[in-house]
Amino acid sequence: MTADVFTTLAEAVIDGNRETAKRLVEQTLRGGIAAHEILDKGLLPGMDIVGQRFRDGDTFIPEVLASARAMQAAVGVLRPLLTDRDAAATGTVVIGTVKGDIHSIGKDLVGMMLEGAGFKVIDLGIDVTPEAFVQAVRDHRADIVAMSALLTTTMPSMGVTVAALKEAGLRDRVKVMAGGAPITSAFAQKIGADGYASNASAAVEEAKSLIAR
Amino acid sequence: MNTGFRNQVVPEYRLLTESQIREFHRAALEVNEKIGMRVSSDDGLALLQAHGCTVADGHMVRIPNYLVEECLRSAPSRITIHNSLGAEAMRLEGRNIHFGLGTDLLNTYDLRTGELRRSCLQDVANASRVADACPNIDFVASYALPQDVPTNAMYLECVKTMFLNTTKPIFTTAAGLEDLQVIVEIAETVVGGAEPLRAKPCLIHYSEPTPPLTHSYGAVRKLFYCADKQVPVLYVPGDVLGGSAPVTLAGGLVLALAEAQAGIVLHQLRRKGAPIISGVAAVPMDMRTSIMAYGSPEFRLTNSAYSDIFHWYGLPMWSTVGTDAHVLDEQASMEHAFSTLLAALDGANLIHDCGYLGQGLVGNPAMIVMSDEIISYVKRVVRGFTMEREQLAIDEIRATGAAGNYLASEHTMKFHKQELWRPSLVNRDDIEAWKQKGSPTYGEKVRRKALQILDKPQAPVVSEEVCARIEAIAQRATAALAGIEFTA
Repeated sequence: MTADVFTTLAEAVIDGNRETAKRLVEQTLRGGIAAHEILDKGLLPGMDIVGQRFRDGDTFIPEVLASARAMQAAVGVLRPLLTDRDAAATGTVVIGTVKGDIHSIGKDLVGMMLEGAGFKVIDLGIDVTPEAFVQAVRDHRADIVAMSALLTTTMPSMGVTVAALKEAGLRDRVKVMAGGAPITSAFAQKIGADGYASNASAAVEEAKSLIAR
Repeated sequence: MNTGFRNQVVPEYRLLTESQIREFHRAALEVNEKIGMRVSSDDGLALLQAHGCTVADGHMVRIPNYLVEECLRSAPSRITIHNSLGAEAMRLEGRNIHFGLGTDLLNTYDLRTGELRRSCLQDVANASRVADACPNIDFVASYALPQDVPTNAMYLECVKTMFLNTTKPIFTTAAGLEDLQVIVEIAETVVGGAEPLRAKPCLIHYSEPTPPLTHSYGAVRKLFYCADKQVPVLYVPGDVLGGSAPVTLAGGLVLALAEAQAGIVLHQLRRKGAPIISGVAAVPMDMRTSIMAYGSPEFRLTNSAYSDIFHWYGLPMWSTVGTDAHVLDEQASMEHAFSTLLAALDGANLIHDCGYLGQGLVGNPAMIVMSDEIISYVKRVVRGFTMEREQLAIDEIRATGAAGNYLASEHTMKFHKQELWRPSLVNRDDIEAWKQKGSPTYGEKVRRKALQILDKPQAPVVSEEVCARIEAIAQRATAALAGIEFTA
């Protein structure tokens, strides 16, 4: 019976059905099932399947994002009921396009995919200064700071941000991820980032593995 | 183009103006009336003479203009080809495009050993199976010309093998009337008799005159047989510019068009309204090596020109794609892409030789897979797009504004699948993801896919009973045809 409930929840996420996902979560809560169980056994496994299908080429970005939004809606209902420990299972990500760069689409995509995977995402937008990243990491007690750049000319700002985190004494508390068309894993390593991903779905995997470390 | 119903954007390509089409038509009429054709068949000669043609210079039959035009009118404007299960498969009419294999490749690139060797019957089976699995390949042909079966039974063995491996329509040559009759008997056995085959034809016979200006005894016999049986026949001259035809593109087109017109006359006089598919192949000879240059730009131009002419006639017509590269390489992909795109823009109904390599001498099942994806790409191009209010998306642009994006919008969700082409094998991975997969080239991917298709266990295509019957027909015919000489 409970297994069926979790399967139905997972299906609502897979189908990207926001209203159904929300309604099912409310129903399930009324049925006496704990919030963290709903998250761990229903919603997250559903999103894992979506991620797998996407990597296999069986589903596409708009469908993944629809699932991500269904996930967000469902988590929105759960969030007040989750303990800090439950919520920390996924983590908080501060994300932004670095200073001097106003390209948002790749960063937006990664942000939405991370939200879909259950992360709490603080989107700082575009043209984000190193100071703004530092401030956000402090304010939101972020687990990950994710930086994006499209222009080779703005890539150096990533290194500056890492240095600023160090300066503020936050570097040990937060993992740093870098991404964007001109970024390579070698560059990410050189500036002292912890992670790199070449596309949005790889970014989700990378974020999960950084949290697990 | 604003159709008055939906505002649809469709790529349009025409090479000839209507006055140029009329000029080609008149020039070909003049060749038939003033120069004439050599027809090496007494039946053919008698029929033409009975309809007002005159014989001059001993053997040249002069065909009056009105007779050509009458026969162009009586030839059907549309032919529907079915698969061997009786389902509609290709509507050869208007500017509908259908793609398929070609016949008679002497050499095959062996996917497993990497060796280029003489073709065998298994290669015919392999090509049929790969083509069967390719959604954009609409019809099959032998592809390989098997060297491991008795010579006189090659074509009927090919047809039998195709019927055992696919239900898609079959396009086939034959050595002469003798084996063509057996081929038709095999087809009738598969579909359940002569009447079902006539009503829902799944077999197209490919025959040809011999340029310049010659219709051989064998070719006319096969043409008449197809007319009598109402088997759809393709009667297309293959003219080599600078060899069997004038080197000028226009001259080659005139000669080939005249030959094609004469074929239609012979066929329609034998039986009015019998199904015939027309066209020409006016291919340049490479003046350094003497090969027929399949991948040449001139072949694209002559194809486009006669496509316009036969569309003006309102007759079902064919076209050709291909390459002069011997292996599946950059040249092969370039020449296949150009030729496929142009044949589609020409609106050619029966586009053959998909997957051909090596100037019509080399086959490779992986090339069929590549061709399948090229066709898919090309179909997306020629499909165009819709520009109704919903597609113009002004409301969507307003709602999103300058700060947002369209990633997760309902509009994207609703339209992305119909608007955006989804490739199956071409690379769309980013560089890291591509490296993680072992940095595969496209050639490696199509080869792997072809092997995957061939390694899959195969469900029987025909019943055991039909299989036994066509095997028996083939066996009997092979014995009967042994040692005979087909008359050209």
